[in-house]
Amino acid sequence: MLILILLLIPIITGLFLLAFRKAEIVRYIALGSSIINLLITLAIAFDPSSSSYSLNWINFMGISFSLGMDSISLIMVLLTNLLFPFILLAGFNREQRNVHLLNFLILFTQSALLGVFMAQNAFLFYVFWELALIPVYFILLIWGGDGKRTITFKFFIYTLTGSLFLLFGIIYLYQLTPGVHTTDFTVFNQLQIPEATQIWLFWILFIAFAIKMPLFPFHTWQPPTYKMASTQGVMILAGVMTKMGIYGVLRFLLPVVPLGVLFWQNTVIILSLIGVIYASVIAFRKANLKMMIAFSSMAHISLMVAAMFVLNQYALQGLLFQVLSHGVTIVALFYVSCLVKEKTGTTEMPQLGGLKLNAPNLAILFLIILLGSIALPLTAGFVGEFLMIAGLFQQSVWFAVFGGMTMILGAIYMLYAYQRVMLGNQKTAFEHIDDLISLDYLILIPLIAIILVLGIYPQPIFDLLKPVTEIFSGLTH
Amino acid sequence: MVGTIPYINLALLVPALPLLGFLVTGLGYKRFRHNQAGIIASTAVGLSFLISVLLFFVLRNSNQDAATITLFNWISVGKMNIPFAFLIDHLSLTMTLIITGVGTLIHIYSIGYMHGDDRVNSFFAQMNLFTFSMLLLVMGANYLILFIGWEGVGLCSYLLIGFWFKNPAYNYAARKAFVMNRIGDLGFILGIILLFFTFHSVSFSEIFTQASVLQVGTPVITAIALLLLIGAVGKSAQIPLFTWLPDAMAGPTPVSALIHAATMVTAGIYVIARSSILYNLSPFTLNVIIVLGLGTAIFAAIIGLKQNDIKKVLAYSTVSQLGYMFLALGLGAYSTAVFHVTTHAFFKALLFLGAGSIIHALGGEQDIRKMGGLRKKMPVTYWTFLAATLAISGIPPFSGFFSKDMILVKAFEQNILIYVLALFGALLTCFYMFRLFYLVFYGEQRLANVNAHESPRVMTIPLIILGFLSVFGGFLNLPSLFGGNLSFNQFMQSAVSSKISDEISHGTEIVLILLSISVLGLVIWYAYRIFIRKAIIPPGDSEPMSAIARLVTNKFYIDEIYAFVFEKPFGSLSNFLFKTVETNILNPIVDSIGELTDIMGTLTRRLQRGNMSFYFFAMVAGILLFIIFTLTI
Repeated sequence: MLILILLLIPIITGLFLLAFRKAEIVRYIALGSSIINLLITLAIAFDPSSSSYSLNWINFMGISFSLGMDSISLIMVLLTNLLFPFILLAGFNREQRNVHLLNFLILFTQSALLGVFMAQNAFLFYVFWELALIPVYFILLIWGGDGKRTITFKFFIYTLTGSLFLLFGIIYLYQLTPGVHTTDFTVFNQLQIPEATQIWLFWILFIAFAIKMPLFPFHTWQPPTYKMASTQGVMILAGVMTKMGIYGVLRFLLPVVPLGVLFWQNTVIILSLIGVIYASVIAFRKANLKMMIAFSSMAHISLMVAAMFVLNQYALQGLLFQVLSHGVTIVALFYVSCLVKEKTGTTEMPQLGGLKLNAPNLAILFLIILLGSIALPLTAGFVGEFLMIAGLFQQSVWFAVFGGMTMILGAIYMLYAYQRVMLGNQKTAFEHIDDLISLDYLILIPLIAIILVLGIYPQPIFDLLKPVTEIFSGLTH
Repeated sequence: MVGTIPYINLALLVPALPLLGFLVTGLGYKRFRHNQAGIIASTAVGLSFLISVLLFFVLRNSNQDAATITLFNWISVGKMNIPFAFLIDHLSLTMTLIITGVGTLIHIYSIGYMHGDDRVNSFFAQMNLFTFSMLLLVMGANYLILFIGWEGVGLCSYLLIGFWFKNPAYNYAARKAFVMNRIGDLGFILGIILLFFTFHSVSFSEIFTQASVLQVGTPVITAIALLLLIGAVGKSAQIPLFTWLPDAMAGPTPVSALIHAATMVTAGIYVIARSSILYNLSPFTLNVIIVLGLGTAIFAAIIGLKQNDIKKVLAYSTVSQLGYMFLALGLGAYSTAVFHVTTHAFFKALLFLGAGSIIHALGGEQDIRKMGGLRKKMPVTYWTFLAATLAISGIPPFSGFFSKDMILVKAFEQNILIYVLALFGALLTCFYMFRLFYLVFYGEQRLANVNAHESPRVMTIPLIILGFLSVFGGFLNLPSLFGGNLSFNQFMQSAVSSKISDEISHGTEIVLILLSISVLGLVIWYAYRIFIRKAIIPPGDSEPMSAIARLVTNKFYIDEIYAFVFEKPFGSLSNFLFKTVETNILNPIVDSIGELTDIMGTLTRRLQRGNMSFYFFAMVAGILLFIIFTLTI
């Protein structure tokens, strides 16, 4: 029951918000609801006993409305509910049109995402998967920046195409189920699908996830979308929505078509590692700060995908840890880019420089966040990447070498960007910019605290994840 | 083992105090005035030093050689179990004493040197953070804790090299240092991972116990040793990853003294000495280390001959001395390498601080061609600098003599060629150091409009203490020839397993010592003739010179080669991937798939031209086809 409440709080609050017109009240209510949601999630994390809910839904098709939460779901739900308060906070004190509508859409997205992460059958999963796209589409279209129409359209069509394949895959699996057909994951997982079928079915299911993550070469929608999106929009996209793809693979792909996964394992790992190098190299010369962060995010996600497909426990635990770490770090990075934009009017790095002189605290916090991103020890990023690289190493030394290249390449592009934005001499245009205000601290300090605490004392998360190893122990051989 | 040695838990305070100092000075950086931050920071490191001294006696009076203090489980996944633990043994304690001892002096010196800088509080915060990281590096009880410190010192080095961040060249130098270190770090972390999969542990005690029964030449051990070596080469600025260190001189001079001379750059030596058991199992790797070390020692010394920036000379000298330490490691004389780390920490820190004192007095001038005549004006700097110059040149009885000569003797035992080359490098060292010394302190003061003066006492007292250590530091490890018993090496024995015996026959030793003293004397005399008798000042940069001289002056164009081979192509690749692959290949493919629907729409649109007879035809044809289809199945 508790998890149904978790799912409903955001959307009901969102609908309720539509009745208000005063921006401040809307924001406070939305924030309040998201904090309550976070508290409930933490309660579940400490006591996971009450984590399933089921209701008869479309009986004649064997589909029920069933939600549940194992430790993979829990990590995803935790990430979602952890980030949304910050995403909502990022809207405070800012000039925005139609605040009530915007906050409704954000909360709508939150519910849909939670639905994806908690659905216990493929049909419900698919419904939420598509549902999440709708509010995000409007957030991008209404509150986006330059070129929003074409870019949003491309984003929408691209992801929708992937989803169509997924739908086809679900229907195909549905008619394979014995007896009264059903889409329950538990039944899907037990299907004995011949290897030849699994080999093509793998791509039918995977393509939607690959686009969402995104995996090289299905990523072309991502950088322009991130660049164009509003701060809150990009925080949702980069922080949480990319994890939908990862979650999809873990929940849907690995257990259902294990032979297909084994067949394509190395292909996907190599594609991912190409993505790591490709995105990292591009990030170095990208002149736009948001584009640079977008490519850096792609590089990190690609490493996570590679780690996911080596199918051993170190990589898997590292990956799930990194889900949290990456989400927090990328949200903080995009918030910093938003601050840079607000203070200077641009995110084009050749025009920036010397911001540290007037905004030393912004510079310091940016530095700490980017150190988290380049996986310096005692930040969360290190713990995740170390385990992932160890996992890759177990499969092949070369995978580890290429995956580990993020350590070098990340340092190259991130420090270069830091220098171009913060260091050097001041441009005359920025002589009078201000340092951070308390709202900025309210967002950045907790995010940084999470990055550091998870880096110094990561064990609670691993304890949370212990059951995962058991789930996948059957798959690893 | 926790608690078996009384007071051993005090060891936690050693890294904790600088961390606390960092937090206080870092968080309150806007509030401190005058020298407050400097005093807090120096006190923190000073107290750490006192506790380290206390621990030294505690450990010596106990009947144990080592103690482990575990704080909590850092990462525990599957079979991987990595505790956040510290190891207190003779090696880590020696390093701790160097770091906190020399560190305290440099912190105090910095109060004077950085006085008046408007970001002095940030400076001390970063210095304390560095000290904390460095202590973590040497005190960690397993490779991963070591790696925290390893990356932490890299970060602080980055921050402090680029401390004066308005200057783009400094920022570039800082990034270069970090990235080159990271190249090494990738090898290092892969080495740690391979260690884990080989021994199912990353803790020193566990690994070394298991490794002690392995065969010499086990391939996996060689792989591990080589991977760790890559990290060490990056951090300790050996060929081919040394070019960041001379550029690192962009940082304030006390930073060069602490980080880029006395402590951080010796981390690579520490790691290999710490892993001596593994390296003993891999003679191949040891030979690689000999080649790298000797090559670096001579190559950097040659470049040092033609440098005219006082800090650059010292930087290349550091690279060269680190090469000697590597040579000692490669010879299997790990304790001797650590001993050279120790004496080098004394005299190189002193040289840098002396250089800082000179730069301070001359209003920022670093070109030795413009200096001269400072002997009378800066007596304390002069005398201490002389002590350090004699020490680094290896003149008895100064500290460098004992450590460097021991390396030469070891080299002689192994291979006469190595000995000759190492001696040749020592002569070069002696020459460029006396060249520097004569040009700076003798002759006329060539810089006009500057009233050179001795530095304040807060700076000269650390110089005097380091001068004392540079003169007498060698007595820590007196060989039996001089009536000692190599007490330093013996102290190391429980932590480091040296491969070759520490003593050789006295006769050989005497001959070798006399040989090196006499050639060193010749070199000093030669330098004296050029720079004092003839009073030759090295020519300006734009003046014509021979091809070889130009090659050396331009550091063999290594930076330019790296820029041409790595940096430029990397930038071009970045542009190519975005402008060609992303924009002109991947995007059009996706768009064309999108356009496919458009094309299909255009095609089907043609069928719907409003022609009634065509519709009718199509309808009949469709029905017929449908009937035929149903009948056939």
